[in-house]
Amino acid sequence: MPKLVIDDREIEVPAGTKVIEAAERLGIMIPRFCYHPALGSVGACRVCAVKFLEGPFKGVQMSCMIDAKDGMVVSTTDEEAVDFRQYVIEWLMLNHPHDCPVCDEGGHCLLQDMTVSGGHGIRRYLGMKRTYRDQNLGPLVQHEMNRCIHCYRCARFYQEFTGYRDLGVMQLGNRTFFGRYQDGTLESPFTGNLSDICPTGVYTDKPSRFFGRRWDYQRIPSLCIHCSLGCHTVASGRYREVVRQEARYSEAVNGYFICDRGRYGFFYASNEGRPRQALVGGKEVPYDQAIREAREKLGELIKNTGPGAVACVSSERSSLETQAMLKRICQKKGWQGPSYFVDGAMAQKVKSASSRLESDLAVSLRELESADSILVVGADPINEAPMLALAMRQAQRSGGKIAVIDPRPVSLPFEFHHLQVTPNEVNLCASLLVKAVVDLGAATDLEQSGIEFYQEIPKLETVAPSLQDQISKVAQEFKESARPIIVCGTETVRQTTPALAADQALLLQATNRQAGLFYLMPGANSFSASLLAGEDGSFTEILEGIENGTIKGLVLVENDPLLHFHDRQRMELALAKLELLVVLDYLNSSTEQRAHIFLPTSTLCEAGGVFINQEGRVQATPRAYLGGTPIAQVSGGNHPPRIYGSEIPGGEPRAGWQVLAELVHGELQPDEDATRSSVLKWLSELDPAFADIPAIDELPDDGIRMSSAEEPSPRFALDWLSEMEKDQSPDDHLELILASRTFGTEELSQYSPPLRKLEKEPAVLMHADDAARLDLSDSDKVAILLDRGALEVSVSVKENIASGIIVMPRHRLLEWQRIESLPKYVSYEDVKKVSS
Amino acid sequence: MLPNELKTSLTEHIASVDHPRELVVDIMFAIQDQFGYLSDEAVEEVAKLLNMSPLEVEELATFYTFIYREPVGKYVIHVCDSVVCWMDGYESIRDHLCNKLGVEMGETTSDGLFTLLPVCCIGYCDRSPAILINKEVYGPLTPEKVEEILAKLREET
Amino acid sequence: MTYPQVLLQNRKPDRIATLEEYQQSGGYQALEDVLHNYSYKDLQKVLIDAVLLGRGGAAFPAGMKLRTVAEDAPFPRYLVCNADEMEPGTFKDRVLIHADPHMLIEGMIIDGYGARAEKGIIFIRPEYESAARILEREIKVAKEAGFLGKKILGSDHSMEIVVHRSGGRYICGEVTAQLNALMGKRPNPQQPPPYPTEKGLWGMPTVLQNVETLANIPHIIRNGVEWYKNLAKTETGAGTKLFCVSGRVNKPGCFELPMGVRLSEIIEVHAGGMPAGSEYKACLPGGASTRYLPKEFYDIEMDFDPMREVGHRLGTGAIMVFDQKTCLVGATLNLTEFFARESCGWCTPCREGLPYIRDLLLRLEEGEGREEFIPMLKQMSKHLWSSYCAFAPGATSPVESLITYFEDEVREHIAQKRCPFK
Ligand SMILES: Cc1cc2nc3c(=O)[nH]c(=O)nc-3n(C[C@H](O)[C@H](O)[C@H](O)COP(=O)(O)O)c2cc1C
Ligand code: SF4
Ligand code: FES
Repeated sequence: MPKLVIDDREIEVPAGTKVIEAAERLGIMIPRFCYHPALGSVGACRVCAVKFLEGPFKGVQMSCMIDAKDGMVVSTTDEEAVDFRQYVIEWLMLNHPHDCPVCDEGGHCLLQDMTVSGGHGIRRYLGMKRTYRDQNLGPLVQHEMNRCIHCYRCARFYQEFTGYRDLGVMQLGNRTFFGRYQDGTLESPFTGNLSDICPTGVYTDKPSRFFGRRWDYQRIPSLCIHCSLGCHTVASGRYREVVRQEARYSEAVNGYFICDRGRYGFFYASNEGRPRQALVGGKEVPYDQAIREAREKLGELIKNTGPGAVACVSSERSSLETQAMLKRICQKKGWQGPSYFVDGAMAQKVKSASSRLESDLAVSLRELESADSILVVGADPINEAPMLALAMRQAQRSGGKIAVIDPRPVSLPFEFHHLQVTPNEVNLCASLLVKAVVDLGAATDLEQSGIEFYQEIPKLETVAPSLQDQISKVAQEFKESARPIIVCGTETVRQTTPALAADQALLLQATNRQAGLFYLMPGANSFSASLLAGEDGSFTEILEGIENGTIKGLVLVENDPLLHFHDRQRMELALAKLELLVVLDYLNSSTEQRAHIFLPTSTLCEAGGVFINQEGRVQATPRAYLGGTPIAQVSGGNHPPRIYGSEIPGGEPRAGWQVLAELVHGELQPDEDATRSSVLKWLSELDPAFADIPAIDELPDDGIRMSSAEEPSPRFALDWLSEMEKDQSPDDHLELILASRTFGTEELSQYSPPLRKLEKEPAVLMHADDAARLDLSDSDKVAILLDRGALEVSVSVKENIASGIIVMPRHRLLEWQRIESLPKYVSYEDVKKVSS
Repeated sequence: MLPNELKTSLTEHIASVDHPRELVVDIMFAIQDQFGYLSDEAVEEVAKLLNMSPLEVEELATFYTFIYREPVGKYVIHVCDSVVCWMDGYESIRDHLCNKLGVEMGETTSDGLFTLLPVCCIGYCDRSPAILINKEVYGPLTPEKVEEILAKLREET
Repeated sequence: MTYPQVLLQNRKPDRIATLEEYQQSGGYQALEDVLHNYSYKDLQKVLIDAVLLGRGGAAFPAGMKLRTVAEDAPFPRYLVCNADEMEPGTFKDRVLIHADPHMLIEGMIIDGYGARAEKGIIFIRPEYESAARILEREIKVAKEAGFLGKKILGSDHSMEIVVHRSGGRYICGEVTAQLNALMGKRPNPQQPPPYPTEKGLWGMPTVLQNVETLANIPHIIRNGVEWYKNLAKTETGAGTKLFCVSGRVNKPGCFELPMGVRLSEIIEVHAGGMPAGSEYKACLPGGASTRYLPKEFYDIEMDFDPMREVGHRLGTGAIMVFDQKTCLVGATLNLTEFFARESCGWCTPCREGLPYIRDLLLRLEEGEGREEFIPMLKQMSKHLWSSYCAFAPGATSPVESLITYFEDEVREHIAQKRCPFK
């Protein structure tokens, strides 16, 4: 480890550390523009110049470009270096517009900071300023090229780091321009990061434009709950609403960046239609009264029919506290449930995944970046969990090989093998591939069932020759791999896939590889939901209970089954049959509108909460602000009305767990009902896996990974083989796959006005061969006959999709909930072109 | 947009090399030679041929002096303005050209015949002041010679 | 005074030397010799012993460059011939190609053998379209004659050469920028490591050499190291040099003269002296990125070492002569305009500093100069040495030397509030 001296202080750093980084460890912040820890050093801006007094380099040199070496003596304060840096700032300011008063970067602008700290204060340059024409880059990012200081961060981030190809560098010299070929919305789903990494105001956050200065905001570390990865964010609140969200560095999860869904998904909290008043029978009542009435009505039901007459349902978007409180209530009071997933099959898959995530297989998102091969089994990263794609991109950039087994037209910003097999072939294909990679002879420490499992994998010849070739080719590339990772989705895969993926990871591990396993789950808190969901009380059972009259009351917490359940008609009838529907939510969902009693809850930023991501990482976020109707809505842009009162207008919503505790007031022991931490304490009694979790305020920034698989569920089951027989698509049928899109299907971000602008018109996707058979061409309208009537939708014809399937997005603008049961097969005859 | 023959020859050329992207300047030149300049449509065509994004082509197209992203005249006159030609009076040649053609530097005559562009040292300092017309060199020049050349070019068209 | 003509021995006023003519003068014998009698290492050693220094401006020993390609470096390897020649004042490569293209081709094949490169690429500026066509044609001719292609002359060495036309930018002459350009990337330079001889084109070992450098190689092989060293007038130098002379001389042109010939002789004898009424004031001795060489060095030996000893650079040996009636502020302004226009825009000092310097010079030239401009020009010229690549240090050479040698002339502009030469 090289030892060097910087400004008279000695420091030892790992080999390969740049001098600029070594200085940072000493707390010396050498100025920088082009250097960024995630993007690396390129030596373009020249502002990190320091003087090398002794060692292998001499004189003024760029500290970002030179590795720390033994014997170096470096001065950051040397007169020559300081003078040089001052000139660099002066040069950068020659053409800068000095429009700080109207620039949204003002106040957190690196250029401002450097200008002041660099000592450049007086303009000497007498010439004119260069000007540029800006581009319209879409709804998320504002472009103001005149402010550019040409650090190249944007283009490097966009092209190299994320792999998208529609923003870059044009022209040269001091006319160098950063932007798109032509005006238009940026194609990458990571564009918001441009505002974060741009050291000045070229790229600023468009939705929060002109809303405030950095120091005006209440900035609170937060978490993203728009998918299961749990990326870190900073929420900026002002005037009772979150107006902006940025990426927050996380060593284990997302690094420096987040995706646009996560960044701009927060608008649901300040949505104008958000219900903020407790309602009984559709009438606004004081909150406590609503709770009292709910308690009384529930009591009546139970008195008449017994505790089993009430069922509880929550969801994966609720905080752990809320999920757990509901579980606690059901346990204590004998109510049915709770169920957290309206899709029973999904509940099983998530449970299977979380129970198989053994601690020496689980890897974090950042660890995935250093995989040398990644096998994706049934996942579509960009659409399901965009930051996964970015992590995979980093693995690929450093030479990692990537293969995706998925029927959908998966598109990723890098080279990968796509094995576009039918849903029923996913398991087989993955098994064949792993079998081709693993040499059982080299296996150490593999249990007998593993050997049998391996031997039961069919012969490669069972699949089509072209697929055989593809599998062999990928296997060839994966063979030498030392750090393979299996990424397994839960959205579209078969029941057995999560367990199968774990078994395959075990095979890789048994053959001396440092294998990893990475699951995707349907929502932010799916992992904890799966731990809490009991064997009993599945959603289907609850639904059947309602239908046959045994269940008369339903407590729905932050869940909208009318949106998520595949059979809306059935769901509506069931809800209508209920004697009592109590809904707790912060969304104006269609279910909320059917509630007999509605109790508004607060959002993540208003309440804080614990979320466990898909790798079992327990992370907490504090409350960002107190809540209330945004001032902009209360006042319509004018001065807030002068009504006297100590309440926050619109501040009625309470945390879900708190409402629940009040709902059963007096019936749970006092120390268990009131605080977030007591919920966790109780949890550890329920499930020892929770015992390692410290109190919420003691959780480290990157959380703590819990392992739910201390005693792993049975390994190497062979049921996937029989499942393959069973789930075979009938002849002349297309299998219908319900899928996510980056924008437009995720429940919370649907409320975001800027993201709505990015939604693509919902269309079903199918293979060109199937389209040809149906005499369809791209953008044709079809009517698909489903169990509850025909659905009209346009068709998008693809080549990179399995044939024999229809991919239907669960898009908010598409009434796809017309399906009796899943998997769903549609006969070719039931897909008809609609004559226009 | 490309004539079939050109398209075939370009696709064949691309197929014959290990790294298609090394041909991007050649392809831009080929299409530019066909249409006089590199239109937006042409940029997109180049991108398609080489499996690049239009932006990636534009990053290069806007870098190089001899790729014209705007329409130019039949004759593109590059007037060398570097130091030797400067010493030898390129300014009077330039002014004379502007006068005679009735355009400023950077402009094209209304009949679409001539475009005047500045260029840095073209490597004919032994013949300064020198200019290039459609990549062919003329020099050392005097105002009289300039007129002769213009007249001859006009005649040819 | 006449000197042996080596590189330009077959030069004709109106056409190239044909393959036959080149062969009659001994052409392709060196290739035959090397392929059959030299190991790669022998070849490298000969070039090192002959002190063949790069003629593209940086004077890096050609043999050493071959040596930096590791023995076990991967294949394919590339040889790039730098025929970009965009250094103002420089046109020797053009003259050479128009005189005797096969000399370059032979040089490339031999050099390619030294690096075991099987693909040669000639990177040529668009202004040299006629030279590009000549090369394409003569490469075919050489191939038909069996000097290119598979297993050349029955040896193990195979080689193809292609011509790559640039889109035209000065920075493309810089090695790493050129490699980026060849790969269809933006031609920004790229600081080593990795060095091109390690990871160049498409990540493969790549040797890049100037036209003139390559053309010397066959002669060294054919006539020996001693002969080659004796061609030079200086003790440490070797070979001949193509000097391009332009500006205030009666007979501008490209002359092949012994390395180390005196500047005064080049101007007075070979370039026909200065026009009547003109007096030598200064020259740029090696292209636009070298420092003004004032009168006190009028007799200097034009070779790398003697120039270096007095703080100057031979560069490309392109001599641009200025007389006492030429305003050097104006000349420097013109040069700076060139550099500011051609800056690739990657790094701040060059991208922004050059337009700044240009602005100051313009004000000086237009009579709006101020005293404080002088220290600023000095300081900025110094700071531009901390740019990313060698472009900017070159660009400031005229500026810095203007202030160093001709500060009075600059001050005169300030005092008179106008250009004293107008
Ligand atoms: C800005 C810049 C422009 C250059 N232009 C040329 C050029 O046009 N031709 C050339 O041969 N070398 C040029 N060089 C020098 C090359 O970088 C390189 O040193 C040379 O081509 C190597 O060949 P040599 O060793 O045979 O001289 C340039 C260097 C810089 C920094
Ligand atoms: S000094 Fe910098 S801007 Fe100038 S050419 Fe080199 S890299 Fe480009
Ligand atoms: S931070 Fe080192 S050159 Fe930009």
